[in-house]
Amino acid sequence: MKKTIFSSVAVAILLLSGCSSKQPAVDQKSTETTVQQEQNSNAGEAQEVATEEVSSDMQEVGSENVAKSQTNEMSMEELQSKFKTIHFDFDKYNIRPDQQPLLEEDAKIAKEAPAELKIRLEGNCDEWGSDEYNFALGLKRAKSVKQGLVAHGVDTKRLTLISYGESNPVCTEHTKECWAKNRRVDFKVLP
Amino acid sequence: MKKIILYILLVATLFATDLTIEVKKSVTTLPSLAIEDASITYSDSFKMRFFKALFADMNVLSLFNVDKHRRLTYFKATDVVVENKDKDYVLRYKMFEDDAGKLNVEVKLIEHANTVFRKNYKISKKSAYVFLAHAIAYDVNKYMGGEDIGWIKRRVVFAKVVAPLKSEIVVSDYTLTYQHTILKGGFNIFPKWATSRQDAIYFTSMDGKKPTLKYFDIRRGKITPVASSEGMIVCSDVRDDGKKLLVTMAPDSQPDIYLYDTAKRSFRRLTTFSGIDVGGQFLGTDKIVFISDRLGYPNIFMKAIEGSSVEQLVYYGKTNSACSVHGNYIVYKARESSNIFSKNTFNLHLISLNSDFIRRLTATGINEFPRFSKDGKAILFIKNYKNQSAIGVIRLTYNKNYLFPVKHGRIQSLDW
Repeated sequence: MKKTIFSSVAVAILLLSGCSSKQPAVDQKSTETTVQQEQNSNAGEAQEVATEEVSSDMQEVGSENVAKSQTNEMSMEELQSKFKTIHFDFDKYNIRPDQQPLLEEDAKIAKEAPAELKIRLEGNCDEWGSDEYNFALGLKRAKSVKQGLVAHGVDTKRLTLISYGESNPVCTEHTKECWAKNRRVDFKVLP
Repeated sequence: MKKIILYILLVATLFATDLTIEVKKSVTTLPSLAIEDASITYSDSFKMRFFKALFADMNVLSLFNVDKHRRLTYFKATDVVVENKDKDYVLRYKMFEDDAGKLNVEVKLIEHANTVFRKNYKISKKSAYVFLAHAIAYDVNKYMGGEDIGWIKRRVVFAKVVAPLKSEIVVSDYTLTYQHTILKGGFNIFPKWATSRQDAIYFTSMDGKKPTLKYFDIRRGKITPVASSEGMIVCSDVRDDGKKLLVTMAPDSQPDIYLYDTAKRSFRRLTTFSGIDVGGQFLGTDKIVFISDRLGYPNIFMKAIEGSSVEQLVYYGKTNSACSVHGNYIVYKARESSNIFSKNTFNLHLISLNSDFIRRLTATGINEFPRFSKDGKAILFIKNYKNQSAIGVIRLTYNKNYLFPVKHGRIQSLDW
């Protein structure tokens, strides 16, 4: 359930008239210069004008259903933890030879899992990209894993894909090892 | 304008540096300007913040050699302060709060003891003071006959990641000093201005079953879903009239570029390559520029909306994964170092479809998210250098970059 807070920016500037003009001497030599402005540390002065809260009415849930749901969730969590994350090289979305055995293991786990459970393949990238390309790269990684699973007999209808680009890191240090950990496809088991 | 840029393309030094020391080459030829503060109300810290904002804007005009000292005086004083006697111009202002609690600023520009420009400004929210500084800069620039800087008043919309899979969408001025969160909670990314009036955005919501493109009418606070796609869906560009969008989506797990007609609510697929095609940008009325890995690495390509042939536009850089288009000009982000993870990795470059010349716009750090201003005369970008982030504005005509240090969560995407 998400909470959305929004408001509009209303900036009213009273403008009066100007006067005549005068052209200064401007040097247009091809130099690139940088002037820095020291900015106040608490520059973020966002103000929340309106708050929209989604009501959260409690619903009575039968004890039998709760028990069943908890069992399912536990088994799903257990199942999810069995899957091996697949890792990728920088800017690549092909399955590396060293990841192939892991993918085969994942296919086996997926096939042995209850057929009604769906598996979401979540593509991720390191921080060395920007904008849409990184999201597409994450998606292509997820697609490669999907193709590998299907090739090993997993029903394609059980698999969905999503990309999180660089927005879901498992490691936030700025090191090669850390970036390598983030170039991955995770498995999420869904009911 | 284009002739001016073309002229600069021909004369620009390829490996210009960001170092401030280079200023010495040109400051001596610019008229000098000092700023005098005659404010009566407000705290010293607020007065200093306003002065710094005005000082920065006066620098960004690229018309003056601006004195960094804040001199105090009376607004009606007949003489400029003694330290400013030899300045060509003095910009004197007085801030005061009126009975309605609004921030008022009286401004006059003095040239050799004569007041040559005078104007009053008012804003209801004191926290938005930086917009007043931008308005003053706009008017001083106009009075001085500088190149139009309408972009200085425009707003930036950006998404920042505050935690894994948690983000906020923020509207700010071009220096990111004034920040106003318009969407909080959940995972909402890729904001894009939907109208030239900047009163609505498109953005991608990642909270549902599938990524969903949504339209957010900011004034009414109303959010409407546009379309969903498995894998990803992103609005990459909005045509000037707002009637057509370029959208990257992957209904069959394959990221391609689609043209969306807002009136008919229909999509038309424009690319069919089996790899990655993303980041479509309108080029005139009949072509698009986009990012593709069809050569094995991300690079910039062009194709006609009605045609199928694709043309490579950029032949320099190893990972050219983002670009912005205006007229015949394209600014793109390129990885130049052969070492994938070395420092000084990504720089911005400008190319023209009318020539083979490449102009390097930045020289240090990781520079990303290039965005042309509406008039194409300036480029906004994010620079990460020595563990610091800054938003930069490049004034193409004057060949100068200005940086404003920012402290915030990681910027995911921005639009100007």
